[in-house]
Amino acid sequence: MQYKSQAVAMPYFIAAIGLFVGQIIFGLIMGLQYVVGDFLFPEIPFNVARMVHTNLLIVWLLFGFMGAAYYLVPEETETELYSPKLALILFWVFLVAGALTVLGYLFVPYATLAQATGNDLLATMGREFLEQPLPTKLGIVVVALAFLFNISMTMLKGRKTAISMVLLLGLWGLAIFFLFSFYNPHNLVKDKFYWWFVVHLWVEGVWELILAALLAFVLIKVTGVDREVIEKWLYVIITLALVTGIIGTGHHYYWIGAPEYWQWWGSIFSALEPIPFFAMTVFAFNMVNRRRREHPNKAAVLWALGTGVMAFLGAGVWGFLHTLAPVNFYTHGTQITAAHGHMAFYGAYVMVVITIISYAMPLLRGRAANSEKAQVLEMWSFWLMTIAMVFITLFLTAAGILQVWLQRVSDTPMSFMTAQDQVALFYWMREWAGVVFFIGLLTYLASFFVKGEAKAVAS
Amino acid sequence: MNTASATALTPAPPAAQYRLAGDLAIWIFILAELLAFGVFFSAYAFTRAHHVELFDAEQRALHRDVGALNTALLLTASYFVVRAVQAAERFAARASSHWLLGAMVCGAGFIVLKLFEYGAAFDQGVSLSSSPFHMFYLSLTFFHFMHVILGMVILAALWFGARAGRYQPGDMNGMETGAAYWHMVDLVWLILFPLVYVIH
Amino acid sequence: MHGSAARATLLWLVLVAATLLTWAVGERGSAGPHVAALLAVVSCVKGGMVILDFMVLRHAPPMWRALTLGWLVLTWALIGLAYWNGMPT
Repeated sequence: MQYKSQAVAMPYFIAAIGLFVGQIIFGLIMGLQYVVGDFLFPEIPFNVARMVHTNLLIVWLLFGFMGAAYYLVPEETETELYSPKLALILFWVFLVAGALTVLGYLFVPYATLAQATGNDLLATMGREFLEQPLPTKLGIVVVALAFLFNISMTMLKGRKTAISMVLLLGLWGLAIFFLFSFYNPHNLVKDKFYWWFVVHLWVEGVWELILAALLAFVLIKVTGVDREVIEKWLYVIITLALVTGIIGTGHHYYWIGAPEYWQWWGSIFSALEPIPFFAMTVFAFNMVNRRRREHPNKAAVLWALGTGVMAFLGAGVWGFLHTLAPVNFYTHGTQITAAHGHMAFYGAYVMVVITIISYAMPLLRGRAANSEKAQVLEMWSFWLMTIAMVFITLFLTAAGILQVWLQRVSDTPMSFMTAQDQVALFYWMREWAGVVFFIGLLTYLASFFVKGEAKAVAS
Repeated sequence: MNTASATALTPAPPAAQYRLAGDLAIWIFILAELLAFGVFFSAYAFTRAHHVELFDAEQRALHRDVGALNTALLLTASYFVVRAVQAAERFAARASSHWLLGAMVCGAGFIVLKLFEYGAAFDQGVSLSSSPFHMFYLSLTFFHFMHVILGMVILAALWFGARAGRYQPGDMNGMETGAAYWHMVDLVWLILFPLVYVIH
Repeated sequence: MHGSAARATLLWLVLVAATLLTWAVGERGSAGPHVAALLAVVSCVKGGMVILDFMVLRHAPPMWRALTLGWLVLTWALIGLAYWNGMPT
């Protein structure tokens, strides 16, 4: 750690991992509810478990992004953070607001929660992923703006690098596109437009900038390859990501009442969305192969390479599988989508946050890398979680194909629930893969507590 | 070949001297662009196969003269860019910037003609939703149009660079990178024009 | 590696002449597979000139030549296949 103020990243990373554990527990609960419908009913109904599962994911990734920014920006700008105190205050505000929201989901019926939090003043609730009550949404905006103020002020007084500019652009985009969540028109078509402007332009737009910047930062650090080379790749990747991602929004307009030409625009440009991810994979491996030094933190290098591969598979390949309009006509909203969602979020965003945590955490704890033993355990957790996620994705894909066949393609289509019964076996296998994932996550947690001879900071 | 430019003439290089003119990054970008246009062209062609009469009839209504003139403008701009590169390679920065200016004038001519063409089409009720042919005609040409505009920005950057004497033998990477992009914009139009305006 | 001015000028004249040919075919309104094939070949030749000479891929590693020329030929092949599919039977 080169700058004292980078230390504020630590609580963000710890909170991120803590909420990650919560997310997986709720994932296991709802995974079981797929096959044992009344499990934990009425305490935790499926819709609540799902809301908690997805909201926790978003919140912990945001914690991860913010922690990453607090770690990365001082080092890139070569100056202390503008206000470490503000960063710590925001941490507690965000954590408490997040915790209260989840408790609200769990202990108050959603309709009551909506009534109590002013949803009749400005209706924003009830849409997938944007379920947060109005005060939480406002809180997110306030925290995001104060966070961006802090980071931007730091940038202004320090060195401006391509990596930190791309990261900042991504973070500003994240905050700006979230503002669409406050607009909830009655017209269902328009409503869907604005909803996708948040959801799609986040994960297939500005988040990719954050992903690319974080990956580039870690790769510079662990490979020692020239900044110029890495920045050039970064520019190509983000241009491709933005062009394909923004026009690719069209793949959500197929069936919501938008004009027909979106089936062409959406199909063609979203079919090209794997390209930036492919470039990212080539980039990561290329840089590691051309490395000028052997960084002692092998685990971080593994996570970085894993991000490249899994992001390409999950976001790129599994996205492409069902993005063409004629295919999507059948697969829309089936388990194929769930398969893609799981591997894309894990491969792109979960893994990149763990990559930066894996790289930064030892440094924050005063050593260049963890002990051999701790790293071996961390690599075990990498393989357990990654392989488990591959199987979750494959089982959901199988379930999805069967579902599409039975429920939509067949001459005598089954009803939704009858088809669900037919694919129950795959849901069971998915749940077991989920248990393995959870074991991997516990292994990951354990790796933080393994003692052993740590490697000193090379200075 | 002309003797005046004999210095620019070099024998074909041995294998070890193979070299991409321009940065590797722009070439990866160009490949992605070509792929996008290739997919778009194929989509046009296969959709046409289902609506041959409609496509043929509406294609007749396009301004082929404008399309052909625009092709010539893009080719001329490309030619000027080649001359600009050659000039920079023999330390003639001023001449290089003049050629680039000429290329930009051609590019601007393309844009003006295209806007006239769009204006006329919109007056006749052509829109993205009016027919499959119109959807492709507008989508393809507009997607290309955006590339011409980006190409103009790049040419302008090269022009400033050339005036500042930034490009010379041994330091041609920036100029070659920009030139490669402009030629790509030209290249895709060489398919687009016969495909959308002529072949039926 | 960027060739001579005279060669570039010659290529430019050929390219513009080929464009006039395409335009003339369009004005005559000639149709049918032979005309389509002719126009496709003209486009391929023009594209090849731009790729090999203007983009200087003549001097590039063979892989890059294969990728770009391959793109040109493959694109026209797909267009040709679609054209053939759309012909009255």
